[in-house]
Amino acid sequence: MELPKPIRRFLESRYNLEPAEHFIDKQVHKRLPPHTGWLHVFGSLSLLLFISQTITGILLLMYYRPTPEAAHKSIQYITADVHFGWLYRQIHAWGASMMILFVLLHMMRTYFMGAYKKPRELTWVTGVFIFVITIVFGFTGYLLPWNQIAFWATTVGTDSADKVPFIGHWLQYLLRGGNAVTGETLSRFFVVHVIILPWVLTGLIAIHLFLMRASNLATLERVGEERKLPEEHGVPFFPVHVAKEGVVAVLMLAVLVTLAVLAPWEIGGPANPLNTPEHIKPEWYFLPSYQLLKYFEGPYGAILGIMACSLPFAILLFWPFMDRGKERNPRKRPIAVTVGVIGVVGAVFLGYLGHISETEQTFFGKRYEIDLKGWPHLIKDDAEGEGNAHAPPEGADIKPDK
Amino acid sequence: MTNYEQPTRRGFLDWIIALGTAITAAAMAIPGLMYLWPAAKGGANKAVEVKGAAAMSPGQSVTLQVAGKPVIVVRKREGYSAFSASCTHLGCLVKWDVAAKDFKCPCHAGVFDANGQVVSGPPPKPLPPYAIKEVGSKVYVSAMA
Repeated sequence: MELPKPIRRFLESRYNLEPAEHFIDKQVHKRLPPHTGWLHVFGSLSLLLFISQTITGILLLMYYRPTPEAAHKSIQYITADVHFGWLYRQIHAWGASMMILFVLLHMMRTYFMGAYKKPRELTWVTGVFIFVITIVFGFTGYLLPWNQIAFWATTVGTDSADKVPFIGHWLQYLLRGGNAVTGETLSRFFVVHVIILPWVLTGLIAIHLFLMRASNLATLERVGEERKLPEEHGVPFFPVHVAKEGVVAVLMLAVLVTLAVLAPWEIGGPANPLNTPEHIKPEWYFLPSYQLLKYFEGPYGAILGIMACSLPFAILLFWPFMDRGKERNPRKRPIAVTVGVIGVVGAVFLGYLGHISETEQTFFGKRYEIDLKGWPHLIKDDAEGEGNAHAPPEGADIKPDK
Repeated sequence: MTNYEQPTRRGFLDWIIALGTAITAAAMAIPGLMYLWPAAKGGANKAVEVKGAAAMSPGQSVTLQVAGKPVIVVRKREGYSAFSASCTHLGCLVKWDVAAKDFKCPCHAGVFDANGQVVSGPPPKPLPPYAIKEVGSKVYVSAMA
């Protein structure tokens, strides 16, 4: 791609363009390892979603009002009256979920392909920070519509901060801007969501990309035994890999618009600080933590629960320094792969239990009431049915047939 | 014997400049951090009237705010009882179950008895009680002294 001649002449007569052109040329024509394929597009998809969130976020800011009196009404106004306001709000809401999903997929690809190993440990560490910041983005943005679910999800979320040892109460007070979730909290979350986090994430992404480019993508070879392949063996970043990224980018935009039209996010009723709705549940990415917290009871239950929820993040952060093996190929890393599979399956299972808890579900033709902790209890009408081989509900009075 | 490096005038000046920069940065950061600390102290601890208390029949409850905190007031056969409405687990508001005569949390199924004591579920502590004062036909609720 060349600059138009008049612009080039203008710039050339004033600046030395050679270093910049050399840098861009080197980046564009860089060769990637031969195994680079479709699984390597999750990172660029995450970046695309961040750009989409930034653009739609700026558009929403034009009409959004961050006060308890006006926030909910301004969201209604954006959705009902502003031209294409509904579309940008929906793409922003769905984009948040998608961004977390693709950051997770990107991390999983990196984990299972052993790409976090030396010399790329810091690339992984910045990636974990990007993941955490993306989740904090979701948490702070969730309050902004100031509806019932947002208000109470934030109440529960910030109440968890109170369980942090020694500094919990101060931390909660600082987060909320007072004792309870109020307009002060909304202001704080708004500033963090629209000013602080975007800049922090931009900085982290810049460092992440710089580190990724500096050490190139990892191969599946053993650490320190990577063979220097001839240039022509690699996959050209442009146009081969960029074309793949372009295809998935277009598909992602299509998915976002489709979801915006077919599965729009409800605005819900405005926040009522004197009424907690029944059985509120957090977003899918908080469901595993939400469910895990339920298993910790008693005086130290909450603090143990918070520690249990924080542990996976700590393990992720330090994993490259814990797994010092030289193998990258997943087939030769049975322990790391087993740990990863258990982590992913465990998180999905806990999330599913959180999703179905306190509901009625049908399994194999029988109705079950799923309790708070996710245990199924056969509903009595079905329990009296013929040929029931399942456990009776807790406390049921069972008498032998005569 | 340890050989100590002779301090130089330049090294000493470097050290003074670094110290001065650190003190200046701290002097600028401390007011910034204090600025972030919430100025609001919550409402003053005044007694709040329970509107419509006289019309409440035994078993009925009402939730209101006292000093910025949610409080649930229950009409008993004789008199009233009041507790913090915030579940001691994660802060959702408990509701009074007339039939079971207990407080239930809608978020994680915590149950407290009529005296605010934990019956079941994840709450680690009882519901803190509030003081009730009846003046004629009016009922006031306030934080415990």
